[in-house]
Amino acid sequence: MLPVHVGSVGRAGSTGRADDQRPGRRDARHNGVVPTTLEPTQVAEPDADERVAEDRPWIVIVWNDPVNLMSYVTFVLQKLFGYSLEKATELMLDVHQKGRAVVANGTREQAEMHVFRLHEHGLWATMEKDGGDE
Amino acid sequence: MSRFRGPIRSTRKGFEIAVDDDEAALIRRLAAELRLLLTDDVDDEHARSLLVRLFPTAYPDDDEREAEYQRLMREELVASKLAALDVVDRALDADAEPLDDAGLLAFMQSVNSVRLILGTMLEVSDDPEGDEVRAGMEQSPEYALYGYLSWLLEHCVRALR
Repeated sequence: MLPVHVGSVGRAGSTGRADDQRPGRRDARHNGVVPTTLEPTQVAEPDADERVAEDRPWIVIVWNDPVNLMSYVTFVLQKLFGYSLEKATELMLDVHQKGRAVVANGTREQAEMHVFRLHEHGLWATMEKDGGDE
Repeated sequence: MSRFRGPIRSTRKGFEIAVDDDEAALIRRLAAELRLLLTDDVDDEHARSLLVRLFPTAYPDDDEREAEYQRLMREELVASKLAALDVVDRALDADAEPLDDAGLLAFMQSVNSVRLILGTMLEVSDDPEGDEVRAGMEQSPEYALYGYLSWLLEHCVRALR
C-alpha cells in the first residue's frame, strides 16, 4: 500500500454518541383534554414498538478503500463533522486499519445527509440503524 | 520552477493553481472525460463500473431504501460533481481569478473523482499479500497519472489546512 493511501476501516471507531434520551411520547388526554365519549383506556400507543425502532439513531460508517489518501480522508472528516485533527486522524486510522469507522449518528434524515456529503467527497460511506440488524 | 513551490499557491487573494501549460491541458482533458462519463446516457457496463466509486451504496442492507436514495440523491450528486468540474475549467484559465476555500475544495473533489476512476481501472489494492495494482499496470500511463493526481491532491489538502 502506498503510504499516502487510505486503505481501510474497522469495526470499532466509536464516536461520541449523541443524546439517545429522547422525550417520551405524550398523550394529549393526559394534558387536560377530556374525552367526550367513553373509550377503553388502553387504546393508546398501539405503535410503541415501531416508534422505538424509528427513534433508534442511525449510524454513518466510512469504509476502507485503497484509493483515497489518508490525509484527504482526515481532512474531509474534519471539514464535514468539525472533528479536531486528532479525532479525525483516529477515525481515519480506524478506517484504515480496522476496515470501517462510525463517523456520525443521528436521525435517518441526518444520517442520509451525512452520507450524501461523504459521497460528494468521494468517500465510501453507508448508513444503518445503530445496534445492527432490526 | 513551479514544481518546487508546489502546484497550489496561496496568495492574499486566494489559491492559484500553479501548474504548467501541459499539466493544465492534462487536467482539463481529464475533467472533460469525467464530464462525459457523468452526462453521457450510456447504458454501458464498462462506464458504469468505472463510476462505481463515485456513487457508492448508502443502504447496503435495504434494497428499497437504497433505490429511494439513488432516485432522490444521484441526480444531485451528479450536479454537484459537474459544478465542481466547472470550477476546474475556470481555475485553469490563463487569467483565472484565485480560488477561495470553496473553489479549491471543488477543484480537489474533481481531482479525487478522477483518481477514484483511475484507481478502479488500475484495481488499486492495499492487500499486503497482493499487488498494489492490476498486473502489468505498474508502468502504464494510467498509473503515472494516478501518481500525479495523488501528488496534486495532497497539495490541495495541505493548502486547505
